[in-house]
Amino acid sequence: MICFSQNKQILYNFTSIPQSLLVNPGADVSYKYFFGIPGLSGVSANFGSSSFSVYDLFADNGVDFNDKVRNVVNKSSNKDKIYTNQQLELFSGGFRIGGEESRSYISFGGYQELDFLMYVPKDMAILALDGNRDYIGKSFNLGDINLRAEVLSVFHVGFHKKMNDKLVLGGRVKLYSSGANANSTRNSGFIYTTNGTTDQNIYYQYISSNLELQTSGIAAFTKDEYDGNITNDLIYNTFFNGSLGLGFDAGLTYYFRKNLQFTASIIDVGFIRHTKDIETLTYKGSYEYDGVNPGFDFTNEPENVLDDFQKAIPRDTLYNKYTTWRPAKFNTSVEYSFGKSRFDQDCSCKPPGERQYVNAVGAQLFTMTMPKDPFVAFTAFYKRRLLRKLELKTTYTVDSFSYKNIGLGIAGTWGKLNMYFLVDNVLEYKDITKTNSAAFQLGINFVFQDQD
Amino acid sequence: MKPAGMSKFTTLLVFVFLSFSCSGDLDFDQIDDLKLEPVVVANLTYFNIPAKDFVDNGNEQSIAFDAQDFNPFRNSLMREELIKAEFNFEIRNTVNRAYKIDLVLIDSQNNTIETLSFNVPAYAGTNNVLNFTEVFENQRLVKLKRLQKIGFVINMAAGPPLTENSPGSLKLRSAGTLNFDIEAED
Repeated sequence: MICFSQNKQILYNFTSIPQSLLVNPGADVSYKYFFGIPGLSGVSANFGSSSFSVYDLFADNGVDFNDKVRNVVNKSSNKDKIYTNQQLELFSGGFRIGGEESRSYISFGGYQELDFLMYVPKDMAILALDGNRDYIGKSFNLGDINLRAEVLSVFHVGFHKKMNDKLVLGGRVKLYSSGANANSTRNSGFIYTTNGTTDQNIYYQYISSNLELQTSGIAAFTKDEYDGNITNDLIYNTFFNGSLGLGFDAGLTYYFRKNLQFTASIIDVGFIRHTKDIETLTYKGSYEYDGVNPGFDFTNEPENVLDDFQKAIPRDTLYNKYTTWRPAKFNTSVEYSFGKSRFDQDCSCKPPGERQYVNAVGAQLFTMTMPKDPFVAFTAFYKRRLLRKLELKTTYTVDSFSYKNIGLGIAGTWGKLNMYFLVDNVLEYKDITKTNSAAFQLGINFVFQDQD
Repeated sequence: MKPAGMSKFTTLLVFVFLSFSCSGDLDFDQIDDLKLEPVVVANLTYFNIPAKDFVDNGNEQSIAFDAQDFNPFRNSLMREELIKAEFNFEIRNTVNRAYKIDLVLIDSQNNTIETLSFNVPAYAGTNNVLNFTEVFENQRLVKLKRLQKIGFVINMAAGPPLTENSPGSLKLRSAGTLNFDIEAED
């Protein structure tokens, strides 16, 4: 899954996969009932970096590693980001409610998720690599420090209903349980050195700092007396002792005509209230550093500029509860279908009016809230039914990670077994290390339809 | 039809998974080669003493003294990763008297590590800016890392008497240039 960006452009509206309900609870998915194979129904991993690839840093090509780091820093900006996301569906299922004529469905599930997003802290990297000597007059921006990380579990129940032949509406409520969270996304301040005037010391040096790192579920692991197993404790906290939150998804599908469809969804409108093992570190204040300056005034106690500095910008530890908002995602799509299926012709199971189309083309737009600018991705897609129950979807996506991201997804049903495998950035798979982002997802479900 | 579809699907899956293994040669151990070599400039010390401050109730004070706590090496980065420090001093004397400025570097036992002395000639109406540079490396740097305090001693040499209205001042501006060598594998 394209996960921190969580643009699941291949899965979106790929309605032969029940998990497509997770990106649009109003997707036109129908079943008598289904359940995912525990641990296998939804596995995904995703990595992305908008300005450099793993190869840029770690290629075994004889170039000095420090030169590679410098190149990466030079070509990155503080809007470039590195993210990774992993999801594992633990259980999922759904069933139709009411009789055979009913078109109302319940779906539910639980999954574990890991998110990490960091913007390139460009100015801090320059300061660490070069120092300030060659940057007199430059203000190093502390706001470049911007990251968030979370391990959480999500439990959800959704409902969707075909209101009539034209409209499907759906919604889902979610309970979040966050096992560990680190959040440092509202930093500001600067470190500034310029030449002093003749009535000042050699330099005019000023630091203004407004740094804050909020954590929950992490502080205990950093203490000297901690002697547990971090992995085990993290898993336990994620499922049984997490900071809790609530959210919802909503979506719809609307058919202008039988072969012209519009969909829209909003996902993860929700928050987590961090209450467990909370610790917030702050460095807030400002200081002008003139040097160690004697007053030649015997009445004064000796001063200590370093103590003054620490008093001006103290390290404080707070234990306040805090709230984080889940990254909300908005999807919309238009799809046009054509070419009546020949697979139905030798089958008398469907009346002519319900025959499937072979081809579909369309466009999708994805946006997601992020600490800086929102993430926006535009996708054009083509879906082709290879067999009656084997569907292929290819996508071409333009976003801040790539302008040539081609995705490929395949979903098939054999008997009751529904399998899917989706990968994106297939052009880069010739050498995965050179890609700026990569994602895959796969899963296996049992799906029961009426005719089964 | 079903078995054929299944095998096509399986072939595709295998193909895609095989594609994963096709990656360029990477060497993650390179991270051990990471070496940061920042060069940081920072103010060191500054004073500007007007000529009249060397006169107290009509009597010349030919010695001025002060001491300031200064222990930058309590910071482990400064203690362990600093490989060179260069101090640059700029002294501008516009008083018609000569001076000797001593910066006494003192350790935690109140022992003198080293004294930096600067002789400043009397102002004679022409531009009188002096620049001094002190470089601390190797053993000299090792000793400097004991620094806890700086003593400032100004001795005024004999010359034409100063009064409360004498013009000029003795100004010192200074900064350090610090070279670090921070290696991932230490």
